Order: sequence, then structure tokens, then C-alpha cells
Amino acid sequence: MSARLRNILLWIVALAVLILIPFVVEDRYFMHIAVMAGIFTILTLSWNLLAGYTGQLNLGHAAFYGIGAYTSAILAMQTGLSPWLGLFAGGLVAAVFGLMLGFPALRLSGPYLAITTIGFAEILRLVAMNWVDLTRGSLGLSGVPLLTPIKIGDFTMQFYFERDYYYVVVAGVLFTLFCIRRLIGSEFGVTLQAMRDDEAGAQSIGINPSSYKLAVFTISAFFAGFAGGLFAHFARLVSPELLALHNTFDILTMAMIGGLGTIAGPILGAVSLTILSEALRSMEEVLKIDIRLIVYGLLLILTILFMREGLVGVIKNVWARVKGDR
Amino acid sequence: MGAILTTDRLTKNFGGLTAVNDVSFSLEQGEILGLIGPNGAGKTTLINLISGAFPPSKGTITFEGRDITRDKAHTVNTLGIARTFQVVRIFSRLTALENVLAAMVDRKHKGPWSLVWDSFFRRACALTEDKESCATADSLLDFVGISKYRDEQAGNMPYALTKRLEIARALATQPKLLLLDEPSSGLNPAELTGQIDLIQKINAQGTSILIIEHVMKVIMGISHRLIVLHYGEKIAEGEPEKVYNDPLVVEAYLGGDSDAQH
Amino acid sequence: MDSLFLQQVLNGLITGSVYSLIAIGLTMIFGVMKISNFAQGDYSMVGAYTAVFVMAWVGGWLGWIGSVVAAAAVVGLLGVVTERLVFRPLMTRWTDIDMIMVSIGLFILLDNLAQLFFGATPRMIGDPFGGTTVNLGVASTSLLRLFCFFFAGVTIFCLELFLNRSRMGVAIRATSQNRFAAQLMGIDINQVYRITFGVGALLAGVGGVLYGTLFAIYPTMGALPTLKAFAVTILGGMGNIRGAIWGGLILGVAEALGGNYIAMEYKQAIGFFIIILVLLVKPSGLFGRKEGA
Repeated sequence: MSARLRNILLWIVALAVLILIPFVVEDRYFMHIAVMAGIFTILTLSWNLLAGYTGQLNLGHAAFYGIGAYTSAILAMQTGLSPWLGLFAGGLVAAVFGLMLGFPALRLSGPYLAITTIGFAEILRLVAMNWVDLTRGSLGLSGVPLLTPIKIGDFTMQFYFERDYYYVVVAGVLFTLFCIRRLIGSEFGVTLQAMRDDEAGAQSIGINPSSYKLAVFTISAFFAGFAGGLFAHFARLVSPELLALHNTFDILTMAMIGGLGTIAGPILGAVSLTILSEALRSMEEVLKIDIRLIVYGLLLILTILFMREGLVGVIKNVWARVKGDR
Repeated sequence: MGAILTTDRLTKNFGGLTAVNDVSFSLEQGEILGLIGPNGAGKTTLINLISGAFPPSKGTITFEGRDITRDKAHTVNTLGIARTFQVVRIFSRLTALENVLAAMVDRKHKGPWSLVWDSFFRRACALTEDKESCATADSLLDFVGISKYRDEQAGNMPYALTKRLEIARALATQPKLLLLDEPSSGLNPAELTGQIDLIQKINAQGTSILIIEHVMKVIMGISHRLIVLHYGEKIAEGEPEKVYNDPLVVEAYLGGDSDAQH
Repeated sequence: MDSLFLQQVLNGLITGSVYSLIAIGLTMIFGVMKISNFAQGDYSMVGAYTAVFVMAWVGGWLGWIGSVVAAAAVVGLLGVVTERLVFRPLMTRWTDIDMIMVSIGLFILLDNLAQLFFGATPRMIGDPFGGTTVNLGVASTSLLRLFCFFFAGVTIFCLELFLNRSRMGVAIRATSQNRFAAQLMGIDINQVYRITFGVGALLAGVGGVLYGTLFAIYPTMGALPTLKAFAVTILGGMGNIRGAIWGGLILGVAEALGGNYIAMEYKQAIGFFIIILVLLVKPSGLFGRKEGA
């Protein structure tokens, strides 16, 4: 069997499993968790595009998430724009902000970049808190419209239950995944990796690092904004909390634990940490305490100290060993 | 044949230190020009100036009649000057093939956004599956003699071969002028012969070359002309044999701490 | 000049002196080890809680001073332990990203451990002077706040003595200027790292007691001092102790004035506005030396 055929089969199986999950597990709470896992997968994939492929640490990613959510919600509530278009509008507005942040970020690195991006997100969070006319301040916007029904012939797909949104989010993840895989596999992606490995070397073959960093900042922000839009119409509540630093910390923990600078890593990280955190939440009833974030912090430290390549690296090693034994 | 590259009174100060002082020279079309001098003479600084790594303090650089004095490294490359580095700067997490592929992109006409466009609408599949590009890249790897390492991560290759990979990468940008910064350091005698052949093959295809080299056997064997730098100043220029016996040059090498390998 | 203005400047200087103290720890650690420690504010949080417990045990101004000493000891030790366990293993193979991320991991960990141990209820450090106010003519403030300012000054003075007069202090400064040369001079680099980190954390711990005296104490309070300290450090130039002193005072005054005259809602963001502006103009900070060279 050729590698290509095997790949296609693998994709079909994965897709079938994803489609069938809601038929097997009908629990609404579980579906809610699955939707959030999907949204965080998109966020982590997009954050990793910047951090993992260009080595720039953006600690303000949650701001793009929030911008997308607010944009999509406000457009739907005030102009009546179709939420479906709103998802992309949210992405585009976030992308514009990404470009804006990208310019100063070009000249900065390490702690300077980290703190500037945090500052960017914090300032925007305060704007969301205080621009009450537009955002209703810390109360947030509630009653964001649901995604509008889609009619195909006689069949109408409603978007009301968690399960419906599950399919939307799966489609969103696949869309993101498709785009990012395309980008990484292309000349564009090779250029990014070249810059990450050696910037002077990259310049010597005609690469202008600044323009690429700007482009990646913009693209990364687009997908975060897109994820924000998905969240807005799913949760129907958008609050300044979305822009908070701890969301960015969740994203980077997921990316690190999954494996920075890979495509499978962020997916693995987002899904496994979401599941883990639910497992810990159920343990809370026994332990009487919330140890979820303690475990996050500990895992993040241990990952960096002992498995820098993340889960993807571990799986690769195990796989190599299994193959070697045969 | 005219000059492809000319520098006029090029000077570079680092704080109080003058690394390159008032250096003027020209490099003829199709020539191999050797650049020698004791350690710290400013050779690498000169290459960094020409390649746009940093701008000179004074003086001008002209390439094919165009003033490139203030151009950045990436612009200089798209104009047709490629370089290698004294300490290799390959893309260690990419494969040898990908190192070359990254350099083959037509960056003169394509910025990031047109590559983004391409990745969705032009290329049928992933870059490494693009037969045409890969064939070109493969032939370059073959040309420098490292096709065996095609799919090896560059960071895992033997050091001597990464120098060749760097040359292949530089050639992939189709330069008219190639700047080589000590391509032979760390090579054994057998490899040296191969290296001389390689440089001459490159030159035979019409690429002009400026080369820094400590290994006398290499530099004397391939250079059409030599320039000698000493404390940032040009102290001699001309045919290799003549320069080699120039009393000023002999003194520079014997007086300073010489590490020329004869 | 109207007295409100001077009052705000005084308030700003007092808060700013505490920022300076916490930021000096951060900038020292960065200068010597090139670590950007996002957990710095959590050292302050631990210091503040140490004070809460000591004050509950010994009250009055004796308790307050005792709690500063206790916080210095506890947090200094915590600094040494985290350096050994978390940062040292990365010193030989670090990248910027790894170091920042590992400190973020530590931040998340300490933040949430504190919630677990100390509960979410905010605490206060009682005023040992019973709310006595001091009138300085043009402006007035509580004796306690003045005491905080004084204490921050004394701590910084002691640090200067340590760095300039003691052998270890000189070794730390030498390492900060040139790690490689310091090693050649026979300085035990690991010992320098340990002490630097310990002292850097200790300063944050003492700063935390003062911070907790001025503001409320709660488990997740660490984020603010961390961000403030970073703003101050960037303003003053990473690794520059004098710069951090000035940076802290500037930030404190800017916040007090900005909060009063421009917009209270954006008070916490003033530091960010300033550093973004500064970085746009001068990427190495206001008092920063050029990087490299």
C-alpha cells in the first residue's frame, strides 16, 4: 500500500470517527467539552504557527480570540450580518489587529516581545471592560444569535444543540488544519522554518524576515479571531474574560505539551489537556479542591525540562522503538 | 569583460576599532578573486559589507553598475550575490533537500503573500513532492557531491559536508557572484582536492567568485588574482605568485601571528 | 502647584519604590542569568502571605518588621530551590522561549498552589501604627506608607552595599557584565547563579510584604507585580539595576497621575502604554545599553 493511499485511508477513518462520536456519546455536557476542545485546537494551531514556526513568543493571542468573538457578536447583533459571514469577519478584524501588533513586534524578541504582546492584550481587555456602549463592559454581550439554519433542498440543518455546534467546530478545525498544512508544506512554510533555524542564513538566500513575520502574525491572528467567532455563537456570551492572560497561558501549555513546531502537537495537546482537565474536574468532587491548573503548571514545567519535543516526540520515540523491535 | 563588483574606499568602524579601512578593489566578470590576510585582517567584515549584513561606515559598493551600499542582505541576494559563512549557517532542522529548495524560491518577484497565495492555488501538493523543483535541487546536491544526504536533517550531517550544503544553497539562488568565506576550513587533504575541483566547476559555469581562504594550496591553485588585507587595509593586489613574494605580504604574515597553512 | 498633584506624586513615589524593589530582583536575575522570570510576582505573593502569618502570630510594628525578615528568608529559600530544580537544568541548553515558558509554568503552578493553600479570600496586613497619618506640609500620607517607602530604600541600599562591597556581590556584577570572563577568573558560576536567584527572589519577597501592605493580598495577586516589574525593567533596561530604581519611581508616579488625571479605568495599563511607546522608539529600553558588544 502506498504511503499516499494509507494517508487518505487514515484521514477517512479519522473523519468517520469524528462524525460518529455524537451518535455514540449523546451526553450534552460531553459535547460541550468537545466543542471547547475544538475551539482550543484552532487557537493552539494558530499560536503554534507563530511560536513554533518562526520562534516568536506571542503572549497576547487571547486578544485576537476576543477580538474575533466581539466582532462576530457585535456584527450579528447590531447589523444583522449572517453569523456565518461573521466568523470570517471576526477573523479578518483580528488579522488587521495582528498586522498592527506585528509591526512593533518585528523589532522585538524574547522578553521584550513577550511583555509587549501581553500589554497589547491587557490594554484591549481594559477597552472591552470600559467601552460599555459597544461591549456592555464586564457584563459582556449576552444573547449572541445562534448560527442561522442551513437549507439544502428539503433538509434544514438547525444549529441549536451542542451536537450541532460540534459539527461546525469539527469543520472549523479541519478548515484550519487544511490551511496550515498547506502553508507549512509549501515554499512559504519552508521559508518560515529556514528563518527559525537561522535568520542570517535565511537573509543570505534572499528572505526578508520582517515581511514574513508580519504575514505570519496576520495569519495567526486570523485563525484566532475565527475561533473567537465560533465561541461567540456557541456560548452566546462574549465577555472581556476572553482576552485574559490565562487563556493565552492555556493555549501555550497545550502547544508545548503537544509538541511545539509540529502540526499534530497542538491538536494532541489541546484535546488531551481538555480531556485531562475534565477528568480532574470530576475528581474535584472527591478531593474537594480544584487541582486542574496546578497540574497544568506542573506539566508545562516537566515538558520543558524532560520532553522538549512534547507528546509528539514521545510518540515518535515509542513508534521508532516498536518498529526497531520488529 | 568589465568589473562586476567594485568597492570604493570602503571603511567599517566598530566603536573605536576600524575593521576595514579605505579598501577599494574591483572584481572582474568571471574572475576568481582570492582574499587573504592574517587573522583579524577584516576579510570576513569585507564580505559582510558586500553581502549587506551591515552597512559600511564610509565608501560605496557597486554591483553590475548599481549602487548596493545600503541594501539589506536579502536584497543583495536577489540582485545576484550569494554567500557562504565562515561558521556554517545552514537550516539545521530542515533536510539537505529542503535547505536547497528554500533557496530556489524566486524571491525577487515573490514576497510572503504571493507565496501564501501559491500554497493554496498554485502548487498541487506539498513542496517536497514538486517534481520539477526537486529535480533541480537534487542536481545541485549532486553537483556538490552530497546527494547521499538528501533526506538527512542538515543538523545531523558531518561538518565538512554542511559547508558543501551551504555552497549548494548559495548556488540555488542562481548568483552571478559567489562570496565564499573559508570554504575549506576543517577539510582533510583528500577533501581539499575535491573542494578545488568544485570551486573551479562553479567558476566554469560563469559565476564570479570572491573567496577567503587560509589554506594556501587552495587559494594559490584557483585564484586568478589575490588581494591581501592587513589590519583592515589593502596592502597588495595582483597575480598570486607576485603577491605571494611581495615583501610587504611576507612581513604581514611573519610579523603578525601567522596561521597560514602551507 | 496644587496640592492634589503633589499628593499624587507622593503616592506614586511610594508605590513606585515597591515596584523598584520587585523589579530589581527581576533585572538582576536577567542580567546575570538571562532568564526572564515570569514567576517573580509570585515570589512577592509568597512574601505577602508569609507576612500575613507572621502578623497573625506577632502583632504590632515588631511583627511587621519580623514579617519582612521572615519573608526575605522564606522567599530567598524558595528562589534558591526553584533555581536549582527548574532553571538550572535549562541553563546549558536554553532558548528564550524555553526559559520564558518554564517560568510561566512556575507562575501557573505557584498561583494555583496558593489558591489551594491560602483560599481565595483576600487578606490584609494590619496597620501596626493604627492608621497614624503624617502631614508633610504639601501632602500627607499614612505613617505606614511612609514606612514602606523607607523600607524599600533601606533594602535597596543594603543591596548596593552587598553588590559593591562583598566578594559575592562583585562576582555577581562581574558575571553580569561578562559571564565567560568571570568563569575564566575562577568565579564559581553555579554559586553565583544560586545567590543571584536567591537575592533576586528575596527582594521580590520583601517587595511583596510592602505591596501587600499597600494593596490587598490574594493568591492570584502575583500577576500584577510580575507585569509591573517587567514594565519597570524594560523601562530601565533589562539587567540595569539603577535603571530599575528610576523605572519603578517613574511608573509609580505615572500611574498615580495618569489614574487621577486621565482615566482611572486604564490605570493598570499605563505601564504597558509607556513601555510600548518606549520600545517603539528605543528597543533596548530607556536606560538600556545597546545589546551585544
